[in-house]
Amino acid sequence: MATRRDLVKGSSNSLLLSLLEQQPMYGYQIVKELEARSQGYFKFKEGTLYPALHRLEKSGLITSRWQTLPNGRQRRYYYITAKGQTKLALEKSQWHDFLTAIKLILQPGPSSS
Amino acid sequence: MTPELIQYLESIKHSARLEYADETAVLSELETHIEDKIHELTESGLTKEEAIVTCLGEMGGIKLVARQIYEAYSQGSWKQALLTSMPHLLFGLMFVLNWWHYPGWLSIVLILILATTIYGWWHGKPNWVFSWLGYTLLPVLAVGIALLYLPKIWSLLTLLVYFPMALWWLFRIIVQTNKRDWLFSSLMLLPLPIIAGWFLAISPSGKLTEFNLQLLEYFAPWIGLSFIVLALTIAAFIRLRQRWLRVGLLATSGMLTVTLIVNYTVGQLNTFTFFGLVLVMWGVLLMPAVLERLLKRGHITILRRRKIAASKS
Repeated sequence: MATRRDLVKGSSNSLLLSLLEQQPMYGYQIVKELEARSQGYFKFKEGTLYPALHRLEKSGLITSRWQTLPNGRQRRYYYITAKGQTKLALEKSQWHDFLTAIKLILQPGPSSS
Repeated sequence: MTPELIQYLESIKHSARLEYADETAVLSELETHIEDKIHELTESGLTKEEAIVTCLGEMGGIKLVARQIYEAYSQGSWKQALLTSMPHLLFGLMFVLNWWHYPGWLSIVLILILATTIYGWWHGKPNWVFSWLGYTLLPVLAVGIALLYLPKIWSLLTLLVYFPMALWWLFRIIVQTNKRDWLFSSLMLLPLPIIAGWFLAISPSGKLTEFNLQLLEYFAPWIGLSFIVLALTIAAFIRLRQRWLRVGLLATSGMLTVTLIVNYTVGQLNTFTFFGLVLVMWGVLLMPAVLERLLKRGHITILRRRKIAASKS
């Protein structure tokens, strides 16, 4: 049986792309957003977010830009690329099929009996 | 930034072994994240000390974060793989195609190796430079061998001066390379036991006579092949992400090549020399790691002393 950690690991690319599809974000913002929107389910070691983001960037699915804040600090914002959007659409469709199949088994309807 | 946070980032920097170009960006991003997190935690009512402990706990262990960063950045492109394996390929082709006869070709290859190494060394020491660097040690070795041809007393005197100087220079280069990653020192030194193996098989006395040159000609295709195998190993090394796989690949390839040399040169190398070469190969692979551990220990001691001095003042 897969642990919650394994499930998060297996879906991290889809989750990150999905968040960045809505708006460009920086690392800390991604962590907060992921935690808030999953009601605390998707909580992981925060330092491991950056290697995941950098792997996506190296694959060309996202890109990043440094922005200087009014207080002089710099933040690295991540943006989804066209390639990333295509990949996300494909992954969303795969997740949809997977979830439908799981639901059919976990909550069998009257026709399955 | 408190000493705990500085030490956390320093340890990640040390263990992630990034190229200089990536290092600043990665660490600066982690630093900003930590600052944001601590700010939020102290706003929520935690003391600064509590906030630091919580923050570091939620960031994840140094080993975990550093390993993931390493694996995100370690894989080189095919272009980098080709560039890294190029000196081994050139060296291999020089023997397979019998170019080693012509001083012109030898000079071109040596100048190319020197120029590429100097360029890479002064342009941020990219990962590909270390395999080129290994071959720049060859002229040093060649001069050492040439000194054997001087009259006996002069030969002894120059060797007594020359070899300590050459070893000191090699030590400095290994220390510099280890600052990036000890694995690159092993990568840099890997051809040396192979060259030593071939050299001992061809000329156990260390001098090149007409007979030895004939032997060299006879073994040239095998010498070339061993360096082409090395080139393929290095290309695979650059493409691998996991560190343990990289270490395993270098160790296996090095040992296999030394075994093959002994196998091809039947009767030229005895069991004693074979074990000597195996020992040198293990030394090449492990000595940089041991050196790094010693240097790290020294660095930690300095940091501790600084911390104690700071707390006293």
